[in-house]
Amino acid sequence: MSTEASLGQIVATDWDGGTLPYRVGHRKLGMWLFILSDAMTFSAMLMGYSYVRASSDQWPTPFPFYPSIIFSTVMTLCLLASSFTMVMAVRASAHNSLKSARRWIGGTMIGGLAFLVLHLYEWNHLITEGLRPFGVHKGSEFAHKWAEQWPQAPPLFGASFFAITGLHMFHVLTGVMYLGVIALRISKTKHEDVEISGLYWHFVDLVWMFVFPLIYLLSVELPKHG
Amino acid sequence: MSFESVRGLAKKSDVLLMGVCVILAAAFLVLAGKNVAEAGNFLTIDSLFFTAVCLLLALTFIAIPAMTLRERGMLKNPFAIGEEIAPARAAESVHFEGSTRLFLNVLGALLALTFVEVYLGYIHLRLDLMLTILIGLSLIKAALIVAYFMHLRFERISLVLTLVPTIAICICLLFIFFPDSFRSHNLRTTHATAPPAETETEATP
Repeated sequence: MSTEASLGQIVATDWDGGTLPYRVGHRKLGMWLFILSDAMTFSAMLMGYSYVRASSDQWPTPFPFYPSIIFSTVMTLCLLASSFTMVMAVRASAHNSLKSARRWIGGTMIGGLAFLVLHLYEWNHLITEGLRPFGVHKGSEFAHKWAEQWPQAPPLFGASFFAITGLHMFHVLTGVMYLGVIALRISKTKHEDVEISGLYWHFVDLVWMFVFPLIYLLSVELPKHG
Repeated sequence: MSFESVRGLAKKSDVLLMGVCVILAAAFLVLAGKNVAEAGNFLTIDSLFFTAVCLLLALTFIAIPAMTLRERGMLKNPFAIGEEIAPARAAESVHFEGSTRLFLNVLGALLALTFVEVYLGYIHLRLDLMLTILIGLSLIKAALIVAYFMHLRFERISLVLTLVPTIAICICLLFIFFPDSFRSHNLRTTHATAPPAETETEATP
């Protein structure tokens, strides 16, 4: 497909199929299919979390609005901003201004790294307070609070929290590495490769748009009832 | 002494100087390596400090030869962006739609929806109401991201109709077993006061 004219010949109309039925390269289609499967993984995990939460008598809601929710909102803003810079990178790459594209990708990586650092800081804070994947650390601040407020809650809060946010964190980490490779090799890649890395990055952002409300906003500490 | 011989001498001294620099840099690298190998527990302040100093000195000495080589065009940055466009890229037909303004608007909408969600967390709604609103808003956000950031709105309709219904149906199928969570919740006997008294078996004939 060297020119637009030859592209038109092999694409044909919307429903005729042709050589390029989707008018995207095989790599981009592959990334879309990967995103589909990954979306199913995450929805299955979020569904599992919802299942154990709905089937439990009690479920802990341990995150105070300040600082926990504010903190995770800042993390959300980091990801949203990095998504925007990624769009700008793809746009610059489409206009063949590679230096600008590299700079925008660099901005995206900074956003992703900021998210990672904040997230690890938060994990560290929760683990120091006593949250564990299966239950709470005996004698810790959390253990005392949980025995008092949620005596009948199953010990699965930590498991769902660490599993889901951990898997997402892993995706952010691999995304940053992927973007780094693309940024370094940008003069040797096709535009579509930049676009594909963008697809992956936006997907990571998209997943967080569900993790954030379900894990964080639905775990806001409620005001104490009399 | 003629001008040519002066230049020749300068060249020779350059080579000598660079040689010394390379040897010193190598020596410091070896020293750093030896430190790592023999330090035992590497992650101590002393050990890290000593290694860092060795590496810094090695870098200082290698910098002069490296810069000279780069000036003469013998050392190229493999990741540099040249003026000419790569052939693979030049042959590609790119169709990109959407302006900066559009993307800024989408970003603004996403931010606004996020703040609405956070505000809902602040005012403590009922759990079921909260869940419904949050999922609704998140679906809108996901649709915005997929349509504009992931560019699906500007792709062929055949691609959209292959991807979107697939994932929507698959996720809906996950809901099949969800009512079971309420059943197990209702089955649970709560021994708030005392164990329930012996009751007549009703379920079995």
